[in-house]
Amino acid sequence: MRRRPGIGGLQTAAAARDQYRLLGENVAKIRTDLMKEQLATFRSQLEDFARKHKNDIRKNPAFRSQFHEMCAKVGVDPLASNKGFWAELLGIGDFYYEIGVQIVEICLATRAQNGGLINLQELCSLLRQKRKGSREAVSEDDCLRAISKLKVLGSGFEVISVGKKKLVRSVPTELNKDHNEIIEVAQAQGFVTVDELERRLSWTSGRAIDALETLLKEGFAMIDDGHRDGRRRYWFPCVSSISSLGGSDA
Amino acid sequence: MQTLGNFKLPPFFNYPPYFTLQPVRDTREKQVQLWKELILDYCKTQKIFVIGLEEEFPLFSNPAIERSLTHEAREAFLTALVSEGRAEWLDKGHRKCLILWHRIQDWADIILNFVKDYGLENSVTTVEEIRSGPESRGTDLQGVDRIILMRALKLLEHKGKLAIFKGTSADDEGIKFSS
Repeated sequence: MRRRPGIGGLQTAAAARDQYRLLGENVAKIRTDLMKEQLATFRSQLEDFARKHKNDIRKNPAFRSQFHEMCAKVGVDPLASNKGFWAELLGIGDFYYEIGVQIVEICLATRAQNGGLINLQELCSLLRQKRKGSREAVSEDDCLRAISKLKVLGSGFEVISVGKKKLVRSVPTELNKDHNEIIEVAQAQGFVTVDELERRLSWTSGRAIDALETLLKEGFAMIDDGHRDGRRRYWFPCVSSISSLGGSDA
Repeated sequence: MQTLGNFKLPPFFNYPPYFTLQPVRDTREKQVQLWKELILDYCKTQKIFVIGLEEEFPLFSNPAIERSLTHEAREAFLTALVSEGRAEWLDKGHRKCLILWHRIQDWADIILNFVKDYGLENSVTTVEEIRSGPESRGTDLQGVDRIILMRALKLLEHKGKLAIFKGTSADDEGIKFSS
């Protein structure tokens, strides 16, 4: 364009620039609209699915992990969004959501050994192993935050303090005061005996056996009849730091 | 990590309750699963074919934690292997157990590959030669348990892949492979 002198020339040039910009914006807008439309369709499908299976996603940990796997396969990351539908349904920020999912996976994988009760330190170290190569470091505090968000999933994820340790419970079983006290005593050696409970907590043997039986049935404890003193020991995998215990089913 | 010779023991081997049969179903299933894997793995790397329940066996006790498996526990773990076709009782009293870290079918395939590799089709060999001849050196067939080998050979005979016949010496059989 030949440059014309004077105010008139400058004004014409400015007007032309405006026109180009408008045109450009229009084209861009049409493109984004199209894209938005496609995305909206897809998301509504996914939301429909999520809504339809909301209960399953919330209640059934196995289904939930499958749902995430499915999302990952089609290239949608429900964890990446803080706003909108996913936040309403699940209420979690991306980073914590990701950790949350990984925590669920770890709890599921170790459930057969610990009955769904794992100590926070062990959980964190397993989480770090799992996240090796990712940039963000994960602290115990992060874990706690992520777990607190997991509560909305309604599957009974909870952090309980027993003695000095924090335990993460991933099964709906409620632990009563007696159970907590037993686990606290077990923290010293990893196991307890009925005698020890009677002595330390001034319980009757009936009370101790009753509580131990419950813990055993829930899979939180394992019996050990192999000691030469002949006394049955009740071991608690959740308080022993055997991080890699049974890691074969990862 | 604790080792047995060159074999790395899994962490659960050091956790005392795994040496007592667990009464709760879910816990026991997990326990049995871990032991099954350990037994198969150990026998495979150490080339062990028969476990005697009343004999010393390195996996049956852990001196480091002063625990050993009761007879009942040993039988339970091996029975679980038997039910999966990964082991067979050699006697009615369940005192000796054949460990099939390769299933019989897999042993049969190994024999067929061995025959192909050495061009033994249409030729004659003996059972002992397969187990201890120079050709099998370095393969899984070297030193294979005779019962397992015979079982696999019978399977192949049944399929028409070979013929077994009495050899000159009383304790060895001849094998003729078909092409």
